[in-house]
Amino acid sequence: MEEILLEVNNLRTVFDTEYGTVKAVDDISFTLRKGEVLGLVGESGCGKSVTNLSLLRLIPEPPGRISGGRILFKGKDLLVGDEEEVRLVRGGSIAMIFQDPMTSLNPLLKISLQIAEALQLHRGMGRKEALAKAAELLKAIGIPDAEARANDYPHQFSGGMRQRVMIAMAISCNPDILIADEPTTALDVTIQAQILELIKSLSGENTMSVIMITHDLGVVAGICDTICVMYAGKIVEKASVDDLFAQPLHPYTKGLLDSIPRIDAGSRKRLYSIPGSPPNLASLPPGCPFRPRCDKAMEICGREMPPETSLGDAPRSVRCWLYASGEGGLE
Amino acid sequence: MGAARLKKNIIALAGVGIISFYLLIILVSLFWLPFDPVAMDTLHLLEPPSIKTGHLFGTDEFGRDILSRIMQGCSVSLIISLGATLLGAVIGTLMGIWAGFLGGKWDHLIMRVADILFSFPSLLLAIFVMGILGEKTYNVIFAIGIVYIPQFARVSRGAILTLKGNEFVKAAFSSGASKTYVLFRHLVPNIMMPLIVQVSLSLSVAILLESALSFLGMGIQPPYPSWGNMLSGARKFMLLAPWTAIYPGLAIVFLVLGFNLLGDGLRDLLDPRLRNVK
Repeated sequence: MEEILLEVNNLRTVFDTEYGTVKAVDDISFTLRKGEVLGLVGESGCGKSVTNLSLLRLIPEPPGRISGGRILFKGKDLLVGDEEEVRLVRGGSIAMIFQDPMTSLNPLLKISLQIAEALQLHRGMGRKEALAKAAELLKAIGIPDAEARANDYPHQFSGGMRQRVMIAMAISCNPDILIADEPTTALDVTIQAQILELIKSLSGENTMSVIMITHDLGVVAGICDTICVMYAGKIVEKASVDDLFAQPLHPYTKGLLDSIPRIDAGSRKRLYSIPGSPPNLASLPPGCPFRPRCDKAMEICGREMPPETSLGDAPRSVRCWLYASGEGGLE
Repeated sequence: MGAARLKKNIIALAGVGIISFYLLIILVSLFWLPFDPVAMDTLHLLEPPSIKTGHLFGTDEFGRDILSRIMQGCSVSLIISLGATLLGAVIGTLMGIWAGFLGGKWDHLIMRVADILFSFPSLLLAIFVMGILGEKTYNVIFAIGIVYIPQFARVSRGAILTLKGNEFVKAAFSSGASKTYVLFRHLVPNIMMPLIVQVSLSLSVAILLESALSFLGMGIQPPYPSWGNMLSGARKFMLLAPWTAIYPGLAIVFLVLGFNLLGDGLRDLLDPRLRNVK
C-alpha cells in the first residue's frame, strides 16, 4: 500500500444560522493514499462540498466554522497555523476544480494569464516562463492548436474546454491532491466521459490523488478506488469500489444502488426511489439520521447514533446498527 | 492596441469627437470670446441671431451675447459635471467595494449610511448641502458629488456581490490567491462595466442638476454664466425669443450625448465579449 497523504480525523464543520446550528459535516474521518482516487457520494446538501471546502479552510466565516477534528496533510495539521500557511497549500499541494465551468473563469482575462496565475504565485515563475508553461499545459490537456488558443478569452471556449482549462489550472503546480467538486455535472454525457478520462490519466501519470465529489454513481464506478457514502453530514459507509457495488451494506447505499436505472431490468418495472426526503440539518432527530426513511429501522436506531463499525479489510466500514451489534454482519 | 480598437468603434469615436470639440471651445474661450459675456447692452436686448450684428446666437434680456456666454459657461458646466462625478464615483465606489467585499457588519453600516443619503430626493439633498456650504461654484461640485455617493455605492456593491458568487472567485481563493489579489485582479476589473455606465449617466445628470440648482438661484450666481442659469433666465422670454433657450439647451444636449456615447463605447471596448461583435 502507498503511504497515507491525507488523514481527516473527526472533522466537524457547522454553520451558525438563525434557525440554529447546522451540522453540515459531522464527525467525518477518512484517509487518502498516494495515487488513490476517493469518491465522495451523496445527495445534494449532505455535506460533500463543505467537507472539501473545509480541507482547504475555505468555509466562509462567519457563518461557517470548523468546530473540531484534525486534517493531517503529510503529517501537518492544516487546521492549526495561520492563514498564510494554508494559502500556500491551496493550489500548490492541494488544488480544486469546480462544478460550473461557465462561471469558473474570469471573463476579462486571457486563458493563458489565468493558468499562469498559480504558477507565478506558487512556483515563483516569471511572467514569460509561466505563460510558456501555460501553453504547454493547454496542449497536455488536449486543447487543439494550444499556442493560439492560449490567447483567447473564456467566452471563446466551450463548456467542456473550459473545464479542461480549469483542470490545467489545477494541475499546473503538480499538486499532490486534486479535489474535483462535481466536475462533470454541468457537462453533457460525451464530454463527461472525456473529462473523467483526463482526470484518471493525469492521476495515473503524476501519482496524484483525487477526491471526487459526485452524486453520480456511474462516475464513481468508472474512476474511483475507494468510496465514501455520505448522508446528513456523516459518512455512512466506506468501501472499495468493487465491494460497494458487489455488496452494499448500509440501507442507504442499497437504496442508492437500486435507484440506478438498469437496462436489463425490463421495461415494465418501476424505478426504485428511496422514500422520504433528507432531514433538516438544523434539527436532526436523535439517533440515526436515516431512520425515518429506512426500511430496516429498529428500536435502537431512534435512540442512538450507530458507531462506525469496521468490517473485513480496511477501508470497509459502515455506520448502521444492523452491523454494529454483531447481529447482522456480512451475510 | 487600445487606439487601434478605438478607431473601429464608431460610437466611442463620435463621443470622443464631441467631447474634444467642447474642450476646444473651452480652450478658445480662455483667450478669446466674441463679446464680453457679462457686459450689458441696453440697445440690443433680445436680438435674434444675426451675422450682421455679430451676435451669432442672438442676445438675452440684458443684451449679453449668448454665444459668448455659452462658451464661457462651457468650462463651468464641464468642471462641475466632471468634478461631481469623480467625487461621487471615487467615494461611492470605495464604499460599495468595501461593503460588498467584507460583508457582515461593514456592509450594514456602510449601506445604511448610503440609504440615509438615498432617502432624500437628489435635488433636495443638493439644496441642503448648498445651504450648509454656501453658494460658491466649487460647492456645487460637493453638493452634486454627495448626491452621487450612494448611487455609486449601490452599483458597485451589487456588482461585487454578484461576482463573489462566481466560481472563478472561489477558484482563485482555492488556488492560493490572497484577498487583495482577488479584489484587484478579479473583482475590480469586472465591476468596471456597470460603473462606466453609471459614470456616463452621472456626467449628464450633473449638468441637469447644476441647471436645476442655478435655476433655483443656489448654483452658479449671475451674472457669471452657466448653461443652467442661462436656461432659467430664458424661461420668461422663451416664446418671445426662443434662441435664448435653444442654444444653451443644445449645448447641454450635445455634451450629454457625447458623454453617453463615450461611456457606451468604452464599455464595449473593455468587455472582451463585445469587442469583435459586428
